[in-house]
Amino acid sequence: MRPLFPFFWGLFAVASLGGCYPSGPEYNSDLDLVYTNYSSDFGFAQKQTFALPDSVIEITGQVLENPGTRPAMLSSTYAIPILQQLAANMTKYGWTQVDKTNHPDVILLVSAMTTTNIYYYYDWDYWDWWYPDYYPSWGWYYPGFYYPPYVTGYKSGSVFIQMVDQSTVGAQAGNIAIVWSCILNGLAQGGTSDILSRISTNLNQAFTQSPYLKH
Amino acid sequence: MRAFLLFLPLALVSAGAYAQSPGNCMVSYPISFPMGNLHDYSSNTSFRGISFEFNKKTSPYTTAGLEVGWNVFYQHVDKKVYQEGTASITGVQYRYTNAVPIIAGVKYYKKTGSKAMRPFVGVGLGTIYVNRTTDFGLYEIVSDSWQFALRPEVGIDFKVASAQAFWLGAKYMWGFNTSNLDGQQWLSINIGFRSGL
Repeated sequence: MRPLFPFFWGLFAVASLGGCYPSGPEYNSDLDLVYTNYSSDFGFAQKQTFALPDSVIEITGQVLENPGTRPAMLSSTYAIPILQQLAANMTKYGWTQVDKTNHPDVILLVSAMTTTNIYYYYDWDYWDWWYPDYYPSWGWYYPGFYYPPYVTGYKSGSVFIQMVDQSTVGAQAGNIAIVWSCILNGLAQGGTSDILSRISTNLNQAFTQSPYLKH
Repeated sequence: MRAFLLFLPLALVSAGAYAQSPGNCMVSYPISFPMGNLHDYSSNTSFRGISFEFNKKTSPYTTAGLEVGWNVFYQHVDKKVYQEGTASITGVQYRYTNAVPIIAGVKYYKKTGSKAMRPFVGVGLGTIYVNRTTDFGLYEIVSDSWQFALRPEVGIDFKVASAQAFWLGAKYMWGFNTSNLDGQQWLSINIGFRSGL
């Protein structure tokens, strides 16, 4: 008497595995990271003034191709809100913004970079519109050999902020002391307002998790 | 993990054939409670998993066999600040643990006056393949390990027909430390069906 067995087998398989694998990120903001680090030897409390450039540079490679020339700049659509909010956060923490010629204690340098990667994986669902006898499946299968190399299919981006200790500039054979650094990393995808909103949230978070900057 | 899913149809066919020989097949749905290091990493109770056992009768009251299972533990950790020295990093973490126990074990069925209910105890030795993946921002941290494992269990059979029974049991999967991952342990309550003697 075995007819019950297949029934229960199927029931368990469906209950245990059917469509209930845990999900992952749903929104672009779920993939955002805010990283900060600082020099514990630097006396932030004793410093009062900061200066800020009026543009955000766009990093396209480790080496500047034409030294001495103005590098590529991030669109002002993004750069101006970033710089304004950075200045606002510094001011809120008790710092005073001055011109770069007025001997600021620190200078904040802001840069941005984006990367687009190549993806050799896509959902079988893409072919639903054309494929004869199409039905939903789990994915691709390459019998006897490996998947084509694939990693990502998105554009990722980072905003990188460095705080320079002006007292060290020129004093140590060309090495510039960075006393605070901040990286906002995430998907550089979505509408402009969405990206700006995420940068704003993450820039605030950078200051929240850096209480030592506060006077 | 796809390999395990591909293994399922094979297991299904094998189970049907195996049930005809002197022995039994047991399939069960585990509800698993993470313990120890696994609990520290992912404390949510797991409702995702399945377990198969293929046992041979070695005496009127004992069986010996093989168990293969799959348990998925998942934890979504909301945006949080992680600190290491002077560095701070904020983000959302998605923590996945896929564990595949492969255990050889024996069971002893207690003699009782009732033909409908048979309590049993068992012990098993084997390995647990553990894949731990942490998605953090756009980064993924993965570790794989094969851990030596011990698995005590207790349970009770409820006979519903000749050579067929429901069963309810508790198993403790006890993985031991490896160089790259602490031992993963969990307690599972299994609700299952047995076909065969």
